[in-house]
Amino acid sequence: MNPEFQRNLWLELAPRRMILMIVLLALGFLAVALGGSKDFTVGGAAEWLFYLIVVVWGTRNAATAVVGEIRDRTWDMQRLSSLTPGEMTWGKLLGSTIFNWFGGAICLAVMTFDTLTHKGVTAAFADIVYYLAIGVIAQAASFLASLIAVRRRQAHSRLDVFVYQVVGIAAAVAVNSVWSIADPATMHLAHVVGADVIAWWGMKLDARLFLLASLAIFAGWLLTACYREMRLELQMRNGALVWLAFLVFIGVYAGGFDAWLPNDKSAEGLDAVSLRLGLAVGVYASLTYLMVFLEPKDRVHYRWLGSQLSSARLGAFLGGLQAWMMAYAATLLCGAGLVAWMLEHYRDMTHAVEVAAGLGFLTRDVSIFVLMRGLPGRRGDFAALGTLFALYVLAPVVVKALGGENLLILFYPQAMPLLWIGPLVAWVEGLVLAALALSRASIRNSPAGRSQPSPAS
Amino acid sequence: MIEVSNLVYEYPTQRALDGVSLKVAPQTITALVGPNGAGKTTLLRCLAALETPYDGQVTIEGLDTATSPREIHALLGYLPDFYGLYDELSVRRSLVHAARAHGIAPGAAGAACGKAASRVGLADRLETPAGQLSRGLRQRLAIAQSIVHEPKVLLLDEPAAGLDPQARRDLSALLVALKDGGMTLVVSSHILAELEDYCSEMIIIEDGRIAGGKAVKVRDVERPRYLLEIATARSDLKDFLNVRAGLDVIEVDQHHALFTFTRNPSARAKLIRDLIGAGFEVSSFGESTKALEDAYFAQVAAS
Repeated sequence: MNPEFQRNLWLELAPRRMILMIVLLALGFLAVALGGSKDFTVGGAAEWLFYLIVVVWGTRNAATAVVGEIRDRTWDMQRLSSLTPGEMTWGKLLGSTIFNWFGGAICLAVMTFDTLTHKGVTAAFADIVYYLAIGVIAQAASFLASLIAVRRRQAHSRLDVFVYQVVGIAAAVAVNSVWSIADPATMHLAHVVGADVIAWWGMKLDARLFLLASLAIFAGWLLTACYREMRLELQMRNGALVWLAFLVFIGVYAGGFDAWLPNDKSAEGLDAVSLRLGLAVGVYASLTYLMVFLEPKDRVHYRWLGSQLSSARLGAFLGGLQAWMMAYAATLLCGAGLVAWMLEHYRDMTHAVEVAAGLGFLTRDVSIFVLMRGLPGRRGDFAALGTLFALYVLAPVVVKALGGENLLILFYPQAMPLLWIGPLVAWVEGLVLAALALSRASIRNSPAGRSQPSPAS
Repeated sequence: MIEVSNLVYEYPTQRALDGVSLKVAPQTITALVGPNGAGKTTLLRCLAALETPYDGQVTIEGLDTATSPREIHALLGYLPDFYGLYDELSVRRSLVHAARAHGIAPGAAGAACGKAASRVGLADRLETPAGQLSRGLRQRLAIAQSIVHEPKVLLLDEPAAGLDPQARRDLSALLVALKDGGMTLVVSSHILAELEDYCSEMIIIEDGRIAGGKAVKVRDVERPRYLLEIATARSDLKDFLNVRAGLDVIEVDQHHALFTFTRNPSARAKLIRDLIGAGFEVSSFGESTKALEDAYFAQVAAS
């Protein structure tokens, strides 16, 4: 047996705890059954308890699986073990949440019996896949968030762990929201194609099947991401190919949902190609913001990247690129394609100009994150977020109040009579800040001195 | 065994290791000494393939930490300066987990656990939860976890910190036994006295560099340093010692002599007999216990 999983079994599945879980759940179900409420059945109670035990509590345990080891100073010993990254990943992810899955399995058995009784075998099977997927996705998301945070080498407070837990819960909420599309009772997006069918790349697909496949694929990507982060923790190197493959996948996946876009002014008159490219650009830009916020912005690593590039060691350079850098490159590439398409196919250049300006502001924003990294602890990232809030919200409000609406092009994409002034301003801001960020990364106070003890010594 | 070539490690605003190169011979105990903040822990973590250097190369048994970190991890035992234990697990389970995590087959893990526990004197506490052990016993358990897989290289960062005198003596004996069993050890400390008992080589690290550029031999296990004192001054002490076969004088005056000589008891007994026979009033003769400290301050003064 995987030794890490075994260790977790020793710690988590003590007979006393297991008996306590069984007794409490049995009492809960009995209480609901005896209560006789039509609105709150035993199956409904099992569902809520599953969410509570597997999603809410499970994400907490997943978030502390590695962070707790760091806190307790046992992580270095784990990193020096002979376990493979795969063994370490599943040993920790499943091991730290095994007690939650024990309770969840009891709830799932009750739910499945309820569904079998009322809706049949197919619905029961779909429910099992859904509940397993939502549990795995939520816990893997929390685990992944904590692993990414670990690479930033920060102390992890209870608030930090709560944030990683919230990432998992948010993933579960997203899964639940998407899944509810296929539930005929909710009819969330009935105005598009109806609840039983999903339009994707012009095809009409069975909603439940499509969403089940999507859940399985995203769960797979999440577990892959956990595995790759674990490789880094174990001092192994990751190539760029897997993240690039994910970018291709997510661009194609998101691009297929053009039929879902609201038919309002923002998308008025745009053809399918523009909408699909626009969706891909939007997803890539979102990933860029997310990853540049999450990933460590290590000045030493940036200097190292620069040295690899200057000495033409392209393999090492590409292998050392961070996820946000590749997402940013994908945004630029896809965005440039979108601008080119629009310039070629539309007389009205407003949309093209806005996209071009948006890319410039994206450059400015990621440069702000990189520039702010010099601040100690997490302050750099939150200072960057505060700066962006000021640029996108506070300053525009002040400028508007003072009647300077033409100056809004300094802050975000705006349609102006002189069309290309907006992108010009955005790119000047972006390039100036990028140059600043790059020049700051090359600054080093050397050499070491006893007056400045190194953090690890 | 361990070779470091032009190792550079950088923190965002500071270079912690600046072109460190060194070699550690197999089956030796090397002291890594230097003031707080000199870069000892950073160097040990680079040797353990736990940190990625900015530049340079570290090889252990011919394996490069940059390209084969996991293979190197399998060769290593490492005890950090601040370590933790799984407090809820018993000593037995802690050691079995460590053995299994280091690739020992399930069938052999029990025996490895027993051997490691015996080596550190925990064989009678196998069922005690780690959280209930005293500080000294926790240290022993941590060391046992580091050696349960019989690593070829053992890296210890301030292993005697906080130990009482008896525990320190036990630790010294254990480290020497491990070395005699074939292990190569690197021990970091800024307290020279605790290294005196077992280190044969010393690497002094200051401001991220190796003082003197290489390891200093502080003790030859087969030919220790001896300190001789005579009650009445004799100007011919130096000449007397210089002609003795197998004896190398390091320092000498009319009252004292510091020299290296064989550990062989008969040879030492004969030397004392000869001294007394030649009329030297021997008031003290013994192994010098300040070898490492002397070497340290000599090297620091020279660099």
